Amino acid sequence: MRENLKFILTKAVEFILTLLVVSFFTFAAFSILPGDTASVILGPEATPEQIDSLRQELGLDKPMVEQYLNWLAGTFSGNLGQSTAFNVPVSSLIAQRLPVTLGMCALALIIVIGVSYPMAILSSRKPFHLADQVFSIIGHIAFAIPPFVLSLLLILLFSNLFGYFAVGQYYAPTDNFGGYLNSLLLPSVCIAIPKIAMIFKFLRSSIITEKASDYIKTSKAHGLSDFSILIRHVLPNTNVSAITVVSIVLSDIIGGSLIVEQVFNLPGLGRLLLMGISRRDFPLLSGMVFYLALATVIIYFVADILNNLVDPRMRLK
Amino acid sequence: MNKSSSKSVNIIEIKDFSLCFPSKTEGMKPVLNKLNLSIKRGSIFGVTGNSGCGKTMTAMSIASLLPKEASIQGGDILFNGQSLLSMDPHSRRLLLGDKIGVIFQEPMSALDPLMRIEAALGEVLISHGVKDKNEIRSKIMEMLKVVGFKNPDAILNRYPHQLSGGQRQRILIAGAALLKPSLLICDEPTSALDTVTTISILELLRSMSISMGITMLFISHDLNVVGCFCDYVAVMKDGAIIEKGITSRVLRSPQTPYTLSLLRKSRLDNVLSNDFFLKPNYSETPLLEVSNMSSGYDGRLFSRQKHANVIHDISFKMYPKEVLGVIGGSGCGKTTLAKTICGLLTPTAGTMLLNDVIIGVVFQDPASCLNPSHNILWHLLEPLKAKKIKLSKLETRELLIATMKEVNLKPSYLLRYPHQLSGGQRQRVAIAMCLILKPKLIIADEPFSSLDASSAANVLSLLSSINHKYNTAILLISHNLHIVSKVASRVMVMDSGTIVESGQLSEVFASPSSQAAKDLLEAERKLNSNPNALS
Repeated sequence: MRENLKFILTKAVEFILTLLVVSFFTFAAFSILPGDTASVILGPEATPEQIDSLRQELGLDKPMVEQYLNWLAGTFSGNLGQSTAFNVPVSSLIAQRLPVTLGMCALALIIVIGVSYPMAILSSRKPFHLADQVFSIIGHIAFAIPPFVLSLLLILLFSNLFGYFAVGQYYAPTDNFGGYLNSLLLPSVCIAIPKIAMIFKFLRSSIITEKASDYIKTSKAHGLSDFSILIRHVLPNTNVSAITVVSIVLSDIIGGSLIVEQVFNLPGLGRLLLMGISRRDFPLLSGMVFYLALATVIIYFVADILNNLVDPRMRLK
Repeated sequence: MNKSSSKSVNIIEIKDFSLCFPSKTEGMKPVLNKLNLSIKRGSIFGVTGNSGCGKTMTAMSIASLLPKEASIQGGDILFNGQSLLSMDPHSRRLLLGDKIGVIFQEPMSALDPLMRIEAALGEVLISHGVKDKNEIRSKIMEMLKVVGFKNPDAILNRYPHQLSGGQRQRILIAGAALLKPSLLICDEPTSALDTVTTISILELLRSMSISMGITMLFISHDLNVVGCFCDYVAVMKDGAIIEKGITSRVLRSPQTPYTLSLLRKSRLDNVLSNDFFLKPNYSETPLLEVSNMSSGYDGRLFSRQKHANVIHDISFKMYPKEVLGVIGGSGCGKTTLAKTICGLLTPTAGTMLLNDVIIGVVFQDPASCLNPSHNILWHLLEPLKAKKIKLSKLETRELLIATMKEVNLKPSYLLRYPHQLSGGQRQRVAIAMCLILKPKLIIADEPFSSLDASSAANVLSLLSSINHKYNTAILLISHNLHIVSKVASRVMVMDSGTIVESGQLSEVFASPSSQAAKDLLEAERKLNSNPNALS
C-alpha cells in the first residue's frame, strides 16, 4: 500500500512538471506567432493610440515573464481570458462544448474496447482459422478507410437510408439524455471503427503470445479450464501492455473527434477550434491547446497508475 | 495414503503409442514410434535421451498437454488401468492437478508474474472444487512447509519475481503436489538450476515420493541427475525406447552402443585428454588484469537507490592460452562479471586492464541470442561491421566459409535461419560469431547448460580446437563442476558478488577453504553417486 501511494505521488509530481512545460510552450508559441491580439480585436481601422490603450488594458505591454505568470495563474484557476471573437470568457465557451467531445470520446472508447476484446479472444482461439481470417480482413478494410469517408458512408446508410439517426441534431445531456446519446452514437462509431481494427490486431497477437507462455502450461497442468485460464491469466497479462496501447489510441481518438464533429455538424470542441483559428482568436486557441494537452497528459497519468496497479513488477523491486 | 484399491502394479502403461506432428517438408513427422512403457507404482522412473528424442512428448502425452497440432496415430495410455485416450476431455482435464501433477523446466517463467503465490496455488484447489477459503489457505500453508519453506506466511503474499529460481521451483512442486497426486511428471525440473539447488530439489522430490507415495516420471537429459535420482531409467532415441531397466544396471553396464555413447559423452570421455586445453605460462604478460573492480546495474531516476553493485572488489589476472573456470551458485554474480569484462556493463570502481585484446562472448541460451529474423550469414557479418573491418567480396567469402568449417557447420547453413538449426548448431553459430574476429579471449557464460550431453561434448571439443589453433584464452563460467574440473587450469569460486576462493584447479577441488566451494563440491559429489546418496 505504501509503495502504491509513493508511486502515485511521484507520478503526480511528474504530471505537474509536464503540465508546466506544456503550458510554457503553449504560451510561447502564441506569443511568437505574428499578429497582435489588440489589433485583431480593434480591426484594421484602429489608430495606434487605441491599440496601445487596449494593449495596456489586456496586459500585453508587460514583460513576457510577467505575462506568462499571469496567464499561468489564470489557466490553473480556470480563467483563460476573454475570447476576442465571441467576447465571452474562453472557459465558458469550452465548458459549453466539452460534453459533446467528451461524450463522443467516451462512447468511442467503450465501443473500441467492447468490440475489439471479444473479436481478439475469438480470433486467438484458433489462429488462422475462419473467424480469425474474417476478422483480419474486416480489420484491414476498416483500418484503411479514412474517418471522414467512413462518416459519410455511415450517414448515407443509417441516416438517409434507414433513418435510425437524425444527423445534425444535437440535444444537451441535461435536456434529453436519450437524444444526446442518439446524436453521438453514429459519430462515435465512425471514430471507433479504425481504432477497433488497431486494438484488435494488437490484442490478437498479444493473447496468442500470452497463451504460449510457460505459466499457461502450468495452469493447464493445474487442471484449469480454458475459460478460467483466459480470465485469470491470459487477459490480465494482456492488459499490462494493452493499457499503454489503449491510452495512445485514446489520445488519438480525441484528435479524430475534431474532424468527425465537422462532418456530423456537432457543436463540439473541434468546431470551436476551427472558428478560433479562422478568427485569429488567440486567447481561445491557447486555452484550447492547453486543455487538449491537459487531456493527453491526464490520460497517460491514469494509464501509468493503472499499469502500476495491474503489474506488481512495476511497484515492487 | 495412496489409492490402494486399484489392481494393477503399474500406474502407467503405454502400449504401442505413436504420435505425429505435421511438418511442411515431410507430411506427418513421427515423434513417438510404437512406444511401450510401464511405470511401477511408487517408483521414480527416469526417461533420458538427446534433444528431440521424444522424451518430453512422452510425458506430455500422459499429461494430455500435447500441442494442438499433435496427432495420435495409435496405441493407448493406461493410467491406473483406465484408458486415458478414451476419456472425455473434461475428465482428463480434471485428472491434472488432482491425480497427475506436472512440473516444468523453466521455474523463472512458469508462474504468472501478476499473481501472488497464494492465488497461484489456490487456483489448483479451486479448480478441483475446494471452496472454503480457510481450507484453501491451510492446505497451501501445509504444502509450503512440505516443500521446505520455514516461514510460509511470508511467502503467501509474494509475487514470483520476488523469489529465486529454486524457490519458484519449490512453489511449482507445491502446486503440483497440493492435491496429493499419485503421479508426478517432472519435465527437466532441474536443468535451469545450479548444482546446489538441483540437489536440494532432488532431495525434496525423493522425500515427497517416499512420504506421500507419489510415483514420479522424471524427464532429464542429464545422466548424472538421472543416475543419482531415479530407480529405473529408460533411454530414448528417435521416438522409441532402446534400453530400460534399473538405473544402476543401465548406467553401469549399458546393453546398447547408443546408451554407452551417451554415457561416454556425459562423462566427456571421448573429448578429454591431458592436453585437451593448453597450459598457460604464468610468466607471460597477462591478457586481462582486473583489480578491485565493482560493477552492477543502474538505479532509476527519482529513486533513492542510484546504483546497485552486484559484484564487489574483484581482482584477478588472466594469461594467454589459459582456461579459467568461474564457478558459483545462481545469483553469485558470475554473469555480471562476464558482462562487465566484455563491456556490456561499466565498472563503478576499480580498474580493468585489457591489453588490446579482442574479446568474444558466448552466452547461455543460443536460441535467444540469435536474431530470429536474420540468417546465419547476417549474424557472421555483424561482428565485421561492428569492428569496421573492410574486406573484399572474395576475402569475406573465404573467411565465412573457413569459419563455418571451423565450427563444423556446412557452408550452406549460412543461408539458414536460427529456427532451422538445433540447439547445438546455434551454439556453434554463436561461437563462429566470436571466432570470425580471431579473439584472444573468449568469455563463455554457461555455454553448455541448455545443451544435451552430446551437443555439449561437441561444443567443448570445438572450444578446445580454437584454444589450440589460435592460443585463445577462455573464461569459462559454469555451474557444471564436472566440465570445469576437466578443462580449467585455474578456478575462481564466487559467492554473493565476490571471489571467495581462487587457485589451481587441483588445489581448490582437493581442499576447498570457502563454504561456497565446499557446498558446490558436496552437491557435485552427491550428483555423481547412486540414488541412495540422496537423503
